[in-house]
Amino acid sequence: MGRSHLGEFEELVLLTVGVLYDDAYAVAITKEIANQSGRSVAVSAVHKSLYRLEEKGMLKSRLGEAESKRGGKRKRLFNITPFGKKAIDESMDLRVHLRNQISDLAFNWQAD
Amino acid sequence: MKKQVNIPKLVHAFFKWYCKSDRYEELHGDLEEFFYERAEEMGLVKARFYYLRDVIRCCQPYAWKKPKVYSNSNIIMFKNYFKTSLRSMTRNPLGSFINVFGLSVAIGICLVVYSFVAYDYSLDQFHENKNEVYLTTIRADRNGAEVQYGLSPTPLGELLKDDFAQISKVARVKDVSVVMKYEDKVFYENLRFTDPEFLEMLTFPLKWGSPDALIDVNSIILSEPMSVKYFGDENPIGEDILVKFGEEGRKIFRVAGVAEAFPDAHIIEFGFLANFKNMKVADPAFDEANWADLLDATLIQVPDPMDIEAIRAGMVKYKALQNDIENDWKINSFDFEPLASLHLNAGGIEDAISYDYTEPGRVILPIIALLMIFMACFNYINVAIVSSARRLKEIGVRKVIGANRGKVIVQFLAENILLTFFAMLVGILLAYTLFLPWLANQAALPLRLSPTDLNLWLFLIFILLLTGLASGIYPALYISKFDVARIFRGSIRFGKKSPLTKVFLGFQLVVACITITGAIAFTQNTLHINSRSWGYDQTGALYTSITDKSAFDQLYSAMSQNPNVLSVSGSRDHLGMVKSQAVLRLPDRQYEVDQLSIDAQYFETMGLQLTTGRNFKPDPESDRQSIIVNKALVENMAWAEPLTEVVTIDSARYQVVGVTEDFQFNSFYSPVKPTLFKVADKDDYRFLSVRARAGAERETYDALKAEWVQLFPEVPFQGGYQEDVWPGFFEDVAIQERFMKVVAFIAILLSSLGLYGLVTLNVAGRVREFSIRKALGAGVKNIAFSILRQYMLLSVIALLIAAPLSYIAINANINMLYAEPMPLTYTVVTLAVVLLIFILLTVISTQIRKVSKSSPVVGLRTE
Repeated sequence: MGRSHLGEFEELVLLTVGVLYDDAYAVAITKEIANQSGRSVAVSAVHKSLYRLEEKGMLKSRLGEAESKRGGKRKRLFNITPFGKKAIDESMDLRVHLRNQISDLAFNWQAD
Repeated sequence: MKKQVNIPKLVHAFFKWYCKSDRYEELHGDLEEFFYERAEEMGLVKARFYYLRDVIRCCQPYAWKKPKVYSNSNIIMFKNYFKTSLRSMTRNPLGSFINVFGLSVAIGICLVVYSFVAYDYSLDQFHENKNEVYLTTIRADRNGAEVQYGLSPTPLGELLKDDFAQISKVARVKDVSVVMKYEDKVFYENLRFTDPEFLEMLTFPLKWGSPDALIDVNSIILSEPMSVKYFGDENPIGEDILVKFGEEGRKIFRVAGVAEAFPDAHIIEFGFLANFKNMKVADPAFDEANWADLLDATLIQVPDPMDIEAIRAGMVKYKALQNDIENDWKINSFDFEPLASLHLNAGGIEDAISYDYTEPGRVILPIIALLMIFMACFNYINVAIVSSARRLKEIGVRKVIGANRGKVIVQFLAENILLTFFAMLVGILLAYTLFLPWLANQAALPLRLSPTDLNLWLFLIFILLLTGLASGIYPALYISKFDVARIFRGSIRFGKKSPLTKVFLGFQLVVACITITGAIAFTQNTLHINSRSWGYDQTGALYTSITDKSAFDQLYSAMSQNPNVLSVSGSRDHLGMVKSQAVLRLPDRQYEVDQLSIDAQYFETMGLQLTTGRNFKPDPESDRQSIIVNKALVENMAWAEPLTEVVTIDSARYQVVGVTEDFQFNSFYSPVKPTLFKVADKDDYRFLSVRARAGAERETYDALKAEWVQLFPEVPFQGGYQEDVWPGFFEDVAIQERFMKVVAFIAILLSSLGLYGLVTLNVAGRVREFSIRKALGAGVKNIAFSILRQYMLLSVIALLIAAPLSYIAINANINMLYAEPMPLTYTVVTLAVVLLIFILLTVISTQIRKVSKSSPVVGLRTE
């Protein structure tokens, strides 16, 4: 069933879904990531990640209300599942864990 | 406000097309939200642009309609089609074999023809300037018709360069026969004198050396094979090679370049190149300003092809110059032929630097390929229609469970393309392993099918679709139209009465008849040509070319002593080798004939027969003003009393003293030409011919060669048997015969396979009928008649059409190839028809036998 670890961009999307709780759909996520990270994001990339995360079971989704600003179309809203949370936490732990293992010497550029 | 902001329709349609329906709403909603927002923020134009970009970016697997494998029943149906196709093919192995085999043979032939045509059209196309380089040609009236010559007057090239600013480069070409000597290697070779521009205008890259070397008058450039011939694999740059022009002239050239091997598809080539200025060395009498001298070619380069019309118009002034000097050889106009089309048009240009030897193949091969494809397709159609009787139930069931007519058509077409694809694989295999090597070997052409040739792939796809659709569309339409209720009621009867089936079978018979006629006619023609008289006695005659009078005298006295030699003769020209032209001036017109200058022994030596008059007298001085002519000339002049006629040539008058039989100067491809003989000046002797005692030809040849080598160790021996003066002609004839036989064989094979399949299936479909007949007491005769009746009328009509058509087609074909072929008689056509009837009866009688041997009980019990 595909890889279970998270790609960098997938992780961003997953986190953003959490941030936007209850209003997490592609357009909002795209804008949020663009705002927060300052990089330009294509909506198609977000779509791709959302569907893959849903496939992996880290997100679940439902259809929202139709809105006129969307040409009368409904949007798909995403929520994090417990498995999604686990994935975020594991990923964060791993990073923190690794970061903590770096000895200060590695950052001591004056020494030599 | 939003009403004006519209989503671009086309892009939207594209999105809708690729996007799967259950994600369309949410995905396009997102895109629309962005679009409206952007339209407000940055204007409609930019919004549209971004929308387009988004749509393209979204075109990814997550948005796509899923491949049908998972969701759609279509693919499952296709799998089922595939299965039923395979089943029906294995259930009817005979029909499948006929189809696959026939189609693959036809496709194999198409591929071979493709490789030939591709080769033909690529000849001399590798020259980068092929569209800018032109050959200067002359149009002149000869014996009543305008003829185009590839030759040009000597001074023309220089004048063109000076007079026309549009012409960037000019290369004059003159070929001279010389003797090349390097260490102990001495050969006769063709040396091509040309301007240094030659190598710039034509694309002949050099392996070693620089093309500029031709500017130096002492340099010589070799072709790759010549370099190997004289110097082996060594780099010969800087080596000296001695060139002898005739007896007197000689010059040492320094090798300054070796050309890379010429591409396979080339006609224009060279062995040795040297600067044109050396013409003066080769021939002290050569005069660059002499309009009466003709060069082998004058090539010009015109960077802008648009200018060629202006140049053509400006050529008028040279016409006057030329005609002032050459009264006997007046020209009508000058013309130009681009290098790109020179080969294809060279058939109509005499003495051109390029030639067209592939024309018969270019005309006939595609016709043959097309005929074969037709035959194979017709086989397929016939077998498919007749065998579909067995699949009626399948079609009925399909229709009941919801297949519409379109689906059934698609099914049958898909099945057909599959079959054709299969046939194509076999066809490719056949072409590679059998047909192509055979044709390449027979025709001695470097034919190949290269997998890197893009056009080949396009051609394959084209053939696949063409054959697949051409053979499949009619059966598919035919089979799919049946009404379900009638299928199950069993009230559909077909196969017997399909008129198209009969037309197809008739067509095949016609093609088979034509090719059989061709095979017989060509075989007959080959026999005829091999036994045909040359008009003189070529067996036992030997010849050698000689350098000058003293060489002639020495060799003459040596050979006259030889007990095996019956007569020896000297001549300026020689049958099958060299002739010259003479223009007879008549009161009302000029008449160009061939001219041979000989001595008094020539007729005896060559076995030429005089019909009336006398031979030349042995004393050469006494017949200076006499000529002997051949019958063709007498007939063309309509002379009643040829021996009283006097003709004027070059303002000298000649008395006709004798008439010879017609003879074949060149091979039978060319007609007998009006020819006159006159006495050669002894200084001009270039040939010595010898008649050997019967049975002693070999010894005489060896003696001739030995004498030569002893007398002139420095000059290569250039003699041979008179029988061998038409190199390649008899091989050509044999190839054509074999080729025609193979084509006829394949045509017979295809048509009898088709017929066999058709009859077999037809008989199989009527098993019950025959069983009842037999049960009621019908004999073999009755059953044979009821089977035959079906094909009798058809065959008779087909053969009635085929016979005259074969006659016309093959007659045209033979007349195109040979000047005076054996006339095609009706016997040949009759023979073909009889053979065909025999084949027909054989095929049908196998089935009659089968039916007559089968037990009626078994026949009635089936189904």
